Amino acid sequence: MAAISTGVYFRTYQRELALRHTKAQYVRLALIAVAAIAAPYLLDPYQLSILNTVLIAVVGAVGLNILVGFTGQISLGQGGFLAVGAFTSGLLTMRADLPAPLSIACAVVVTAAAGALFGLPALRLKGLYLAIATLASQEIIVFIARRWSFLREESGAPLGIERLQVGGYEITREFFEFQWYWILLACAVVAVLAARNLFRTGLGRSFMAVRDQDIAAAAIGVNVTRTKVIAFAVSSGFVGLAGALTAHYSETVTWESFTFEISILYLAMIIVGGLGSVAGAVYGAFFITLLPVFLNEFIGGVGEQVPWLVSRLPAIENAVFGLVIIAFLLVEPRGLDRIWQRIKDYVRFWPFRY
Amino acid sequence: MRHTRTLLVVAAATTLGLTACAPGGGGDDAADEDGPIKVGIIADLTGATGDVGTPYAAGEEAYVDWLNDNGGIDGREIDATVTDYAYDVPTAERVYKEYVNDGVVAVMGWGTGDSEALKSRVSADELPFMSASYAEPLTDPEEAPYNFVVAPTYSDQARVGLNWIAEDGKSSEVALFHNDSPFGLAPVADAQEWAADLDLNVEPYPMPAGSTNYTGLLSQAKKQGAKYIMIQNVSSPAALVAKDIKAQGLDMQIVCLNWCADELFIDTAGAEAAEGHVLVQPFAPVSAEQPGHEDVNAYLEENGSSLEKEGLHFAQGWYTMHAMAEGIRAAVEEGDLSGAGIKEALETMGAIDTGGVVGAGEIEFSADSHRGSTGTGIYKVEGGEMAPVELGVTP
Repeated sequence: MAAISTGVYFRTYQRELALRHTKAQYVRLALIAVAAIAAPYLLDPYQLSILNTVLIAVVGAVGLNILVGFTGQISLGQGGFLAVGAFTSGLLTMRADLPAPLSIACAVVVTAAAGALFGLPALRLKGLYLAIATLASQEIIVFIARRWSFLREESGAPLGIERLQVGGYEITREFFEFQWYWILLACAVVAVLAARNLFRTGLGRSFMAVRDQDIAAAAIGVNVTRTKVIAFAVSSGFVGLAGALTAHYSETVTWESFTFEISILYLAMIIVGGLGSVAGAVYGAFFITLLPVFLNEFIGGVGEQVPWLVSRLPAIENAVFGLVIIAFLLVEPRGLDRIWQRIKDYVRFWPFRY
Repeated sequence: MRHTRTLLVVAAATTLGLTACAPGGGGDDAADEDGPIKVGIIADLTGATGDVGTPYAAGEEAYVDWLNDNGGIDGREIDATVTDYAYDVPTAERVYKEYVNDGVVAVMGWGTGDSEALKSRVSADELPFMSASYAEPLTDPEEAPYNFVVAPTYSDQARVGLNWIAEDGKSSEVALFHNDSPFGLAPVADAQEWAADLDLNVEPYPMPAGSTNYTGLLSQAKKQGAKYIMIQNVSSPAALVAKDIKAQGLDMQIVCLNWCADELFIDTAGAEAAEGHVLVQPFAPVSAEQPGHEDVNAYLEENGSSLEKEGLHFAQGWYTMHAMAEGIRAAVEEGDLSGAGIKEALETMGAIDTGGVVGAGEIEFSADSHRGSTGTGIYKVEGGEMAPVELGVTP
């Protein structure tokens, strides 16, 4: 909450538990709501498609942040869990003829179960060792997706998914990005609200207690074993939702969309955005997804003057990506969220320093 | 409960209302104007298959340049944008969306993974798509109505290779070294099925990416008793296998398919290590001196290069672009420059002449099959050159 809490008094417990306390927070929320509603009318379909990708990333990043940022359980298995969500939803829609919303819900449950299963090593492992164990889960899941022909079409091509249709409501070619925007926005808002509220519950508090000091957490009555497994399940549930949305949005499921690089990308999102902050996961998802797009635009713009930049674009993208992560770790390890807090504090207290 | 229901109704009504006043979708206005005809090219210049992806993309660009210099299509230029996606499927998806938004009338792709991943989008967006992937599922108009494959499929190439092995008859054991990706896996199942009928046994071995030697894989193949190593990968790793075979003095014959059956394989492995290996290549190499090479060579010489220097993948890119351009030309003549119009033109226009460069010389699609050609050449490396063994072979 930082310094903004100063001078804010509560008369009731409900008021103290409220998500927002100041008028400024309500104004910002209103501005965000206006921007979210106006965005699809102001952006062209390509820009909207980027925004849609960001919204899926928001769901996934919030999920990962629950595990890494709030529970302190490092995970390099994000890509694998995204794949579980995508394949589950894809198969249920295409092979079992389940309506998309139902298959997406099933994907959330199945991925949560897979997350809990692969989270079992977390009961014995910590830090680097756990990271390697989750990396193994990523490799195992992707290996299965690569080799198991049941997860492909009969011809061997990746699983194709029909254009989304819910009841009489169908996504059309003309309004493809526009219609998806509202669906994805709704999912992202629900994910963010769910995560924000999760940390006001006993379970959420126990996640943070385990992160801060698991022995102390056990001493005050937190069941560390159960908490860690639930953290993996809850986090993976969010990731499964992101995977299922990816499948329906891109209308195909291929393991190539869920490689180890994707796991790193999501980890970068929460590092850059801010570990242990739901808003940070949102900022990170925006930043990391938009980084290559802006870089592409920038290099495209100066490409005529400096043609060698264009021919090295993917390498430059990787270099910038690495530099950004190093810069954040060095300058502001708590990410964009902390930078935003500091800006707010500065404005609030200006011209005084404290 | 009533409150929730009211909220749901309001949400549904709002969504419908918003859709009603939504802004227009991706512009395909370019198709209706008299300006340039936009085509998007998704290329691998720096990714895992960049060694062969770069000359292929250069060939596509060069064809567009040549065509525009020669009056374009009905006086309209082709405006082709090339974007490097570094063999990364999510990047290909992003680039594709950008092209759709820019109002392209067709897309030229590259790899199997991305072509297959984009298959559903391409078909829903009604955009003709030709890539350098010759995976069999892309030839079926029922499954991939907007994908067109100009050359014999990887499966057909593997079948031709296996027929040659069966005739050569040194051993019935074949090791199939493949890139560990959809591209590499594309012909595996079909090759195994075909081999069974020929009394051959095909064992697939995924090639670890970025490996500096393949002695481990070769020793596994040796244990299998394989005298033939069929390779479904690009030139650089295939050349490493040839070097390792030479270094270990193994009695093994490489049968390279398409993307390693080229001059780059010979140059990288060295003429000595490459000597005697067999190359199944549907695109005529420069040494075959086909009439279709003349335009390409003339263009290159004008620009200070030569086809000998650029290699057969340059001509491959050139003639794939040519096939699409001919489809666009036919669609313009029919007065329907839409994705569906180009698709119909490609299916009904008859054979597209490639001057002997692609397959048996011509590419022809129909509404029932988007397999443009089935004939492929078999070459053997002799004195650092691709010497023809048999041309226009079909399985």
